[in-house]
Amino acid sequence: MRKTTRRDIFKFAAGSAAGLVFTPAPWRLITDTALWSENWPGIPRPARGQTRTRFTHCALCSAGCAVRARCVNDQPVSLSGLAGSPLCAFGLAGHQLPYHTGRVKTGAIEEALAAIAQRRSHDAVAVLDLRPGRTASWTYRRAMAALPRGFYLAAQSAIPAVNLDQVRTLLSFGAPVLDGWGTPSTVLAARSHFRLIQAEPLESHTAMLADLWLPLRKGSEQALALGIAHVLMQEQNAGASFPAEATAYSPARTAQLTGLPEAQIVSVARELAPGGALVLASQEWPEILQLNRLLGSVAHTIVGRRETPVPASWKKAAPVTAIEAVPDGSIGVLLIDESVCDGYLPWNAIEPKLAPAPLVVTFASSRAGYGRYARFTLPTAVYPEMTDDIPPALDSAAATFRLATPLVAAPAGAVEPARFIAQLAGLPPADALRERTDAIQSSGRGVLRTYADGKSIPVKGVKPDDFWKVLNEGGCWVDAPDPVEPPASACQSSSAAVVAMTWEMRLARGPMSPLLSKLYEESNLRVRL
Amino acid sequence: MKHRSTYVFLSGVLIALGAGWAGFPYAIYESRPQPVDFSHKVHTGAGGMKCDDCHQLRPDGTFAGIPRLEKCAGCHAAAMGSTAEEKQFIDGYVTPKREVAWSVYARQPGNVYFPHGAHVKQAGLSCERCHGKHGQTETLRPYQEDRISGYSRDIWRGLTMGDCVACHEQHGIGQQGCLDCHK
Amino acid sequence: MTGKRYGMSIDIDRCTGCGACMVACAVENNVPPAPEGATDRKGITWMRVFPVDNGRDGPDRKSVFVPMLCQQCGQDAPCVSVCPQQAVQVDPATGIVGQMPERCLGCRYCMAACPYHARYFNWWDPAWPAGMEKTLNPNVAPRMRGVVEKCNFCHGRWHAAKERAVGRGAREIDPADYVPACVEACPTAAIRFGDLNDPRSPVAQAAQQSGSFRLLEKLGTEPKIYYHSAREWVREIGRAPAGKEQVHG
Repeated sequence: MRKTTRRDIFKFAAGSAAGLVFTPAPWRLITDTALWSENWPGIPRPARGQTRTRFTHCALCSAGCAVRARCVNDQPVSLSGLAGSPLCAFGLAGHQLPYHTGRVKTGAIEEALAAIAQRRSHDAVAVLDLRPGRTASWTYRRAMAALPRGFYLAAQSAIPAVNLDQVRTLLSFGAPVLDGWGTPSTVLAARSHFRLIQAEPLESHTAMLADLWLPLRKGSEQALALGIAHVLMQEQNAGASFPAEATAYSPARTAQLTGLPEAQIVSVARELAPGGALVLASQEWPEILQLNRLLGSVAHTIVGRRETPVPASWKKAAPVTAIEAVPDGSIGVLLIDESVCDGYLPWNAIEPKLAPAPLVVTFASSRAGYGRYARFTLPTAVYPEMTDDIPPALDSAAATFRLATPLVAAPAGAVEPARFIAQLAGLPPADALRERTDAIQSSGRGVLRTYADGKSIPVKGVKPDDFWKVLNEGGCWVDAPDPVEPPASACQSSSAAVVAMTWEMRLARGPMSPLLSKLYEESNLRVRL
Repeated sequence: MKHRSTYVFLSGVLIALGAGWAGFPYAIYESRPQPVDFSHKVHTGAGGMKCDDCHQLRPDGTFAGIPRLEKCAGCHAAAMGSTAEEKQFIDGYVTPKREVAWSVYARQPGNVYFPHGAHVKQAGLSCERCHGKHGQTETLRPYQEDRISGYSRDIWRGLTMGDCVACHEQHGIGQQGCLDCHK
Repeated sequence: MTGKRYGMSIDIDRCTGCGACMVACAVENNVPPAPEGATDRKGITWMRVFPVDNGRDGPDRKSVFVPMLCQQCGQDAPCVSVCPQQAVQVDPATGIVGQMPERCLGCRYCMAACPYHARYFNWWDPAWPAGMEKTLNPNVAPRMRGVVEKCNFCHGRWHAAKERAVGRGAREIDPADYVPACVEACPTAAIRFGDLNDPRSPVAQAAQQSGSFRLLEKLGTEPKIYYHSAREWVREIGRAPAGKEQVHG
């Protein structure tokens, strides 16, 4: 026997290669590789399962639109509005928010409790509520009343309603009227019967879509408001409530300040017929409120709204304290509910009110907001994991009650801010939302709307359990149409109603779905410099 | 030795042929047993059940596939027979309410859209036309998965795209768009 | 076989540029959030809303939003004729121009050929933030890296509508069951969808309406997306007279 040579190995290899061509192996490997390229682990596989429809309300803003969720095996895969009540771009991607990469999922709950317990006996405790008017807000107010020194701070003062049905001319000073203000369905339905005049330096979405765009100089909004008031006072002789300074703003001077033609300022003022006008702004300028008064908007297009009923036993609640009314350096413990957000107080307004070495605890799903000032950030559920009610929308003249019910389970470490603060103050453990719905039901007012069949029935004939069930499974309560005169205080606070949050403000406050940011980055739809 | 190099070459050919025809088809698949030893025969034979008693079309026309535990527990909340398999199933899955992780022999890849309703309800095909005598099997054979593509071996037993197209052409349902069956 | 010719009508005068259609489309069709560094050329947007203006400044400036998607050209779609893989096909039963990712080679001839820039290439594997893959729509398969994709009128919904018809025992789908995601999401009903072969459908009627036009009509691609605007300058831009259009971002 000869030894195996290099030549033998090559011969054998060549024979194997020749033989392999006549087997299925190489051909199958080619096919398999092609199939693998369609299935490699980099490509996620959607889960299969039964599709069900569930209803809830969108808790991302106080519009609280009704949501129809398509769920596969109890996991929402897409959201849509109901017929005639569409969702905005934010809401359509809402089901992706629980998976946001910037989400806070854990927090030092025990340490936070211990730290609060240490401070609360000798320091004042305050709760800052970024969405007042909820059932949770009532819980906070009751909890603060139960503490020796408790303050309830709201990010917005009580907001009267805007009745868009009555509006014939809408003058907006940079408010994003058609771009995230109010309830999309209400605004769009009313759009056909009001003329929109947009005074804004940049060509925003609303400016593009307005009937008339006034491209005024940056920072000259107040001058235009005063100039319009000047014309109104001269022509209608109705300027009792307007400050004397308006007299200095003749059309000629206003034209100089704003860069708009003089004739246009006069014609805009003439278009604002008293009784059907509404003036909105993107900032709290006192001139805007005064202009609304001059036009008779208060009690006509800006109206009061009845309160959604609450249990009689809740009336022992702390009042809403304005941040200015809190003594400087007094708050030792500040608890901030950031789980939902409609407005905010700037930190420089809060900071002077805090005691030395304050204990700031924020309940949030991300650290984008007050988290940077807080010692503890406790994780909360986000929409659509949370159970919460949504206060009546800005543009709803009737009181409403809507629940955001969970479509997916909240992570194990999530804290319910209302429950946490109720326990802290030693309130009796109870389901506040259920107590509230029972109170609404027993008031016998209004109708109960069911989304699955689109029917509305009077509350009078509904049993408490059925009422609760419908509200949880997709339905809302709408008060009987009984507009009351706005209380005197509403006239003071109605400035809040005419201030609209812009997209930029919203985006700065909370996370949005990565899909949404991607689409807006790539499509340059929102980047307009 | 004369012709030595020819023998070496031929032995290479023979070994490759053997490996390619006999070894490769086994090596390419990874075998795994089903979690529960389910007997279709017990259910369809003595039990007198039909396929669509468990594998139903939902009211929205989609096919439910393998039933969820809920359906099994409808009958097997407590043991109906005396077999060890049933006891294991009840103790391991029904009582703790744990879904069974079945491996689906006829599972098509994710980019395939196959409507059972159109084939079974509308065209009136029998289940056996594609699934063979699966309904009469006594045990569940091990599930074999292609190691590279991840496809079930059963796809190559009459469930490839070529098989779909052949049957459609045979029945004069040609002229299909790609997206009719792909998603 | 009842031949359908699905088409869309988009009323530019009603579009508010809110972007709901883009989001609904991406959610429905499992379009992933692109990685950091994706640009407007590399990201995937089957539906994309463009702000378009008349090129003037000051009070004369006028702007509109134009939702752009695959225009679903007729039989002679440019992307079909250039594809070396036969991965693009005009479905004879629906008129929908379909793209088959499994056949696609990634050569991107179709992207170069498309006069509407409505086709997108997968530069990356589809990746979602951890956990978000649970929200994927099971009726649409995610595409792999290296293939082209585009709007197919939410074909997954066409499948679902057919299954519902079978569930009811009907041979024809209920038109209300088959509505693409962008149409469903549009808050102002600016986008409508239907069968152009059915003279009673709102889309067929909108196509005949005065002020209706199609993009780059002179190319003869026979798109099935009909735009509408009462304003002449908008229609001019849609028809693209040589060298006059201006698109700002």
